[in-house]
Amino acid sequence: MVAALIVCFVSCSHQDSEEIAGEANAGFFAMNTYISMTAYGDQADSVLEEAESRMKELEALWSVTEENSDIYAVNHSNGSPVTVSDETAEILSFALEMAAETNGALDPTIYPLVSAWGFTTEEHHIPSDDKIQEMLSLVGYEKIRLDENQVQLPPNMMLDLGALGKGYAGDTVIQLLKDRGILSALVDLGGNIQTIGMRPDGMPWRLGLQDPFGGENLGVLSVSDCAVVTSGNYENYFIGEDGKTYGHIIDPVTGYPVESDLASVTVIAAEGKLCDALSTSLFVMGQDRAVNFWRQRQDFEMILVTSTGEISVTEGIADQFSPADNEEVDVIYR
Amino acid sequence: MKKNQLWLGVCVVILCLGILGGLWVMRVQSDPSVRIVQNGAVLYRFDLSSAEDQTFTVEYEGRSNIIQIEDGAIRVLEADCPDQTCVHMGWLDSAAPIVCLPNRLVIEFDNASDETDAVIE
Repeated sequence: MVAALIVCFVSCSHQDSEEIAGEANAGFFAMNTYISMTAYGDQADSVLEEAESRMKELEALWSVTEENSDIYAVNHSNGSPVTVSDETAEILSFALEMAAETNGALDPTIYPLVSAWGFTTEEHHIPSDDKIQEMLSLVGYEKIRLDENQVQLPPNMMLDLGALGKGYAGDTVIQLLKDRGILSALVDLGGNIQTIGMRPDGMPWRLGLQDPFGGENLGVLSVSDCAVVTSGNYENYFIGEDGKTYGHIIDPVTGYPVESDLASVTVIAAEGKLCDALSTSLFVMGQDRAVNFWRQRQDFEMILVTSTGEISVTEGIADQFSPADNEEVDVIYR
Repeated sequence: MKKNQLWLGVCVVILCLGILGGLWVMRVQSDPSVRIVQNGAVLYRFDLSSAEDQTFTVEYEGRSNIIQIEDGAIRVLEADCPDQTCVHMGWLDSAAPIVCLPNRLVIEFDNASDETDAVIE
């Protein structure tokens, strides 16, 4: 009888995750990546369907390549003003704000440069210096005019909200889920993670941090109710004919892929759009400038991995990061 | 006395069977099960601990991905796609799925990973 009880107890204590009440999952392709969402609550599956539709609506507004998008209209306006939707006006306003706050490290007008390097078509090549100079003359966020819903760009300049589109869309989805009463959720937008509350068992969400040099995760970050985004050149790059590695994050000042002393930057903040915008900017800035930037603000934490593999975390989340075996972690203090 | 000893023996055997049964159930629950999803439809599921070494091809709009299972691990061996990201991801080993964006292909663990809920990449 004891044996029977043991078997019963053990098998009952291993609940399949699908048996947890009110769990819903969705997975689909949008915004140039794979998006996977998990939410817990009443009607969670219909809420996720709504979230998926909303993401696809935003994609339709912000896609650089879709001919009916707001961004396409602006990029083919030949200098004339274009009226855009509220959503586009808002995200553009945020992009301009972040460009100013990061002194241009984030620049939503960088598309012609990224294109010249072949990152938009996967036909990578090293552009000539002349071509780079020519493209640089088309880069400059301060040349964008935004007046309520009217956008005006000089001819041949192009907008691309890719650096913060996923984060902004993620925030919209998170807000939608919260409005519908979801108290626990995890949204994975191609590796950008946004969470509501904690896991249903009351523990924080456990997020693996990818090693930019390949191999096992560097550690686990325990979070609740926040967003986490990593930027680095390690996922999208090419090796040129000269044998050098060229990453997809271009420095808006030089026109060349960033040669940073950082391999990856991970930003943790309340909102996905801030994480998204900052992770790219901080990568462009490099370690010293990134640390100074962090010290001047109170609204985010970060994890830096240098190109020599050193890991440091800001003191605000040092307790939440559990490094993998044999990994040493430095703490960055205010 | 003998009868009591016999009953004791029987109880010990049942207890052992129970413990072994418990262990067996635990083993079954933690087997790595993967699914291969294309364009939202689950094409295949595999129990990696018992799947035979094999390679097979999945196609999307005339482009293929060759998937390999070997020694209980799965990866994309070759792919007809410009960026080869899916191939570079190597063997599936965490909560991060292997994704081939152009071919709408996703390879991921079916059960929640024991250690992490997602991977920041």
